[in-house]
Amino acid sequence: MKKINVKFTLNGEPIEMEVAPNHTALRVIREELDLTGAKEGCGAGECGACTIIVDGLAVNSCLMLAPELDGKNVLTVEGLAKDGKLTDVQQAFIDHVALQCGYCTPGFIMSTTALLEENKKPTREEIEIALSGNLCRCTGYKRIIEAVEDVVAKRGGR
Amino acid sequence: MTVDGKYTAIGKYLPRVDGVAKVTGAAKYAGDINMPRMLYADVVRSPYPHAKILKIDTSEAEKLPGVKNVITGDYYAKRGGLYLADKNFLAHKTAKYRGEAVVAVCAETPEIAHEACKIVKVDYEELPAVLSPMDALKPDAPLVHPELETYRVAPIFHPVPGTNISHKHFLKKGDTEAAFKKCDKIVEHEYYVPHVQHCPIETHTATVKFDQSGNLTVWASCQSPYAVRNALSDSFDIPLHKIQIISEFVGGGFGAKAGTTIEGIIIPLAKLNPGRPVKFTYSREEEFRDAYVRQGMLARIKTGVDKTGKILAVENNFYWDGGAYNEYGVNIAKAAGFAGAGPYNIENVTTNSYCLYTNHPVGGPYRGFGMCEIHFCIEQNLDVVAGEIGISPVEIRRINGLRPGDKTGMGEVMQVSGYQPCLETVLKELNYDATPKKVGDHKIRCMGIAAGWKSPSQPTDAGSSSIIRMNEDGTLYVHTSAEEIGQGSNTALTQIAAEVLNVNPSRITLKSGDTNMNPYEWQTVASRTTYCAGNAVKLAAEDLRNKIFNLAQMKFGYPARDMYLERDDENNCTWVVASKYHKNLRADIKTFALGMPLEDGSGIGGPAIGVGTFTLPNNMAYNAADSQSEKGVAFWTIGCTGVEIEIDTQTGHVKVLQMISCFDPGKVINTELYAAQVEGAMIQSLGTALYEAMILKDGKLMNGSFLDYKIPTAYELPERLESYVCEFAEETGPFGARGIGEPAMVPGAPAIANAIANALGTRFDRMPITPDMIMEAINNKNK
Amino acid sequence: MREFEYVAPKTVKEAINILASYKEKATVLAGGTDVVVRLRDEIIDPEFVVDIKHIDELKGIKFDKKEGLFVGALATMHEIQNDKNVKEFYPYYADACGHVGSKQVRNKATSVGNLCTASPLGDSLTPMFCLDAVVVIEGPKGKREVPVREFITFVRKTVLERDELVLGVKMPYVEGLKGIYTKNARRHEVDLSNIVATICKVGDEYRIAYGSVAPTPIRLVKTEEFLKGKSIDDKVIEEAKGILESEIAPISDLRATKEYRVLVSKSILENSLKALN
Repeated sequence: MKKINVKFTLNGEPIEMEVAPNHTALRVIREELDLTGAKEGCGAGECGACTIIVDGLAVNSCLMLAPELDGKNVLTVEGLAKDGKLTDVQQAFIDHVALQCGYCTPGFIMSTTALLEENKKPTREEIEIALSGNLCRCTGYKRIIEAVEDVVAKRGGR
Repeated sequence: MTVDGKYTAIGKYLPRVDGVAKVTGAAKYAGDINMPRMLYADVVRSPYPHAKILKIDTSEAEKLPGVKNVITGDYYAKRGGLYLADKNFLAHKTAKYRGEAVVAVCAETPEIAHEACKIVKVDYEELPAVLSPMDALKPDAPLVHPELETYRVAPIFHPVPGTNISHKHFLKKGDTEAAFKKCDKIVEHEYYVPHVQHCPIETHTATVKFDQSGNLTVWASCQSPYAVRNALSDSFDIPLHKIQIISEFVGGGFGAKAGTTIEGIIIPLAKLNPGRPVKFTYSREEEFRDAYVRQGMLARIKTGVDKTGKILAVENNFYWDGGAYNEYGVNIAKAAGFAGAGPYNIENVTTNSYCLYTNHPVGGPYRGFGMCEIHFCIEQNLDVVAGEIGISPVEIRRINGLRPGDKTGMGEVMQVSGYQPCLETVLKELNYDATPKKVGDHKIRCMGIAAGWKSPSQPTDAGSSSIIRMNEDGTLYVHTSAEEIGQGSNTALTQIAAEVLNVNPSRITLKSGDTNMNPYEWQTVASRTTYCAGNAVKLAAEDLRNKIFNLAQMKFGYPARDMYLERDDENNCTWVVASKYHKNLRADIKTFALGMPLEDGSGIGGPAIGVGTFTLPNNMAYNAADSQSEKGVAFWTIGCTGVEIEIDTQTGHVKVLQMISCFDPGKVINTELYAAQVEGAMIQSLGTALYEAMILKDGKLMNGSFLDYKIPTAYELPERLESYVCEFAEETGPFGARGIGEPAMVPGAPAIANAIANALGTRFDRMPITPDMIMEAINNKNK
Repeated sequence: MREFEYVAPKTVKEAINILASYKEKATVLAGGTDVVVRLRDEIIDPEFVVDIKHIDELKGIKFDKKEGLFVGALATMHEIQNDKNVKEFYPYYADACGHVGSKQVRNKATSVGNLCTASPLGDSLTPMFCLDAVVVIEGPKGKREVPVREFITFVRKTVLERDELVLGVKMPYVEGLKGIYTKNARRHEVDLSNIVATICKVGDEYRIAYGSVAPTPIRLVKTEEFLKGKSIDDKVIEEAKGILESEIAPISDLRATKEYRVLVSKSILENSLKALN
């Protein structure tokens, strides 16, 4: 099996590396680049714990083969906070107790971050639909939705 | 607490102490650990529900390049188990459920391990299988554990050798037989609750490593590091001080990670490869089938009332589908056995609760520990009885719900009981009205309620401990082995320490999840952590405070008796104050961090460390003959849930519009975390009521993935999801607190079932109540 | 996941050459939301994975009233769902693409991929069936066009040869056509349909396509024939439901019983007919 050379941007930094085609982007990011914020919860695109942002869109990194990273602009949860300052989405998840065990949290934060880039003023239903690819077993979702709505409000969306 | 008795940290909202780590990806879970020279394990699993293992040929697999070892059940010949030693980490001689691990492999990559598993040849002889609890009880049923009589068992459990009964729990209060004769109405019903899965988003994972000196380190996603340590020590004859369990962050537990399975499978592999870490992570499919599942249960409930609605007698028969190994499941049958009366004042109660071996996936603890299952039946039967004598579900609960001074089914006197105020709060907040309302052409809205209770099911002498160390700057380390599994224990325990020591919580770091660094904790289960670990932390903080006061006596020349601590956030410190009469006689608490310097240059006291150890006070064993006890459990947490649902009569879909709960958790430690626990529990109960069931066909799990096992998403969030609280202090709880995590899930599913029954006039005796069931009922009515 | 070679051709020609030389050893990768899961589960075990995402010719969505809509093989559900022309002229198709999987899946999955997967319950397929969409295929011998109803032959079976590539799908523009898409599943979001349907009206004619009621999505031609020219009232709806029942053959499985599927199919027909009139 031939390894594939990929060049991409990860959290603002250029990366060039050789990847095994049968590894997922998730595995490469976690095991070779040691960014373990994205998690594997199902490996089949059902739970969203592995959500990262690729060229501005939230995707399941477990459904992306590592060679598909080539040429992409990739953002993981580790790339959000700058100089120790959390993004408004991250802060809202803390302020609203929108997390418990925290395992799904990076995925939710990435989905939310991408959603609010695409739709500045999502309705509650639009938020629920956009986040329904992220499963959380702890919180019951109420506080997650409230955290997202709070970010929308504070950004002046509503 | 302030000098005038006001709490500074308790009963307030403190943001989660683990929040930043969790929103930045900094939190390292067990599966996030990658080490150089790591090996990867995988297992060969049985394709039969019950089979004798005749021959295992590992030769081809061993030849595969990159394979290190291929081992069989012979490496795991010693049986172990928490309460009943019936389990081997790898099947030994027979495989008892479809999916049981039979051969373990480790290799240089997960792919090689996986390929190796596929070329191991196992010859089986299929044996007749037991595929339901009622089949398990038949006299001619095949035996899942023919050697049951030789198993080591905790004395409170009663397996019946020669049968599939791993435990029969019997409770008798009063005389049900005589009481039923006096009843005006008796309702007897059968209900069924299927197996369900916990579905923590993090699947089970463990990495283990032996160093050359024989020390074993285990990184595990586990709820109870000390219990894991104990199980591994017992099974592999390793002394406890040679085993370190590390489990800092856990991606959800709900009971699934209370036991020891995955860790045990890889230990012999790691032993064969000293110095090399061996990692094993369950796929989601394995998580569904091979981690603990919530046991299925069939219930026969007989409820007898007089014409006023007073319950005179209850008889329960619970048949638990415990699966292939019941080492933990027996305790669930026990918990159901002693809680079977529900939170009601009933003079005459008989309960038989059977834990049964079947050739199904292994049952184990799941949030509620039997209570969700039995209340699905109890609370529906109560509505049925009420209907039969023409009173409302509310009235029957007002008449019978436990009040202070009433006796439980175990015969304990309830010192406090929040039942009635919780019920009234829910009725008021929901504006309860159980009349079905038509909305448009195809929708019906209706309400329903249910109550529930739960106590911790734990050894009556279960222990907890904590150590608090002060640093030179007055900041603190609080050490416990309560496991932060999302419930917020690190935050709540920080608040307890902060309260006693009047320290700003930001000056505390809580350390947990490492048996080498932190002191003993029995388990993080049973909604016992705030109560048990909380008491230990409180005692440790008090010990530290008392030691400081003792030293300060010398410094101030006044007795410790009147001293108090004063939190000073402005100066980011805490003052030790001599007394309210000598407020200016004070010293920064950090003065005492390394002991106290004396005038002649010497010192006294040494570094400041507080120690707290806690054992349940007066939690006594129940009488074996009838399960009666003056104080059989640590506490009961009681509450009520009410819902409004909307049924689409064209598709059978049920939408929960409002879901409201009120519980009595004693004194709430953290207001928002209390609410967050209750909300999460409600949605989990909603999932079981409407969506979730493991579909088992001939022992095979048909829907073992998120593709076909659906749990609620954000879309299922009711328009209104709210929690309320009635705080009646627990006498022996830290600041009056008792547990909430599990009890909060108990009444949700029956409340939804009752609302559906109120809407349609049809009662469903099993969950989940799916659209096809509802459409069938509607269709039958229209005929 | 087992080992394979990864190739990423830049042109259709190059891709076809690769497919022609590897044949059944190759699997085409577009969005990957189905293929990667099948690789993971070892349902497929290709020697070569041919990633077509670098082929610019396959990108995009084109529309004019004369030619209709052309959905390129790489157009994602997300792009289709948000395309101005699709939203205006094929709103039920936008709706269908918006109901596939999760947001993350829609950001990657393609409608043409959904078509090539050929599942009886493919969420974005019933609009294609209603519009008699045409599948544009290229192979070593050149291009060919196949009507969608002939393209899918059975559960996960199509007429596509191993050395052929679908370039896109043509969906004619029909003046005055109105359509309604309905999906029914156990869970509202991120679930497989247990019934999926698109029902269209143009003039006094109806086009009715259902998924999850037969081995492939189907058009209910008898029901369409019956409804043609009729004014819709309760009696006609009841009769139409009866004919619908004779045309569908759903099965009972994990996701729903046969009886349930029949009931819901009828409700969808009733609701759609009422809404279209």
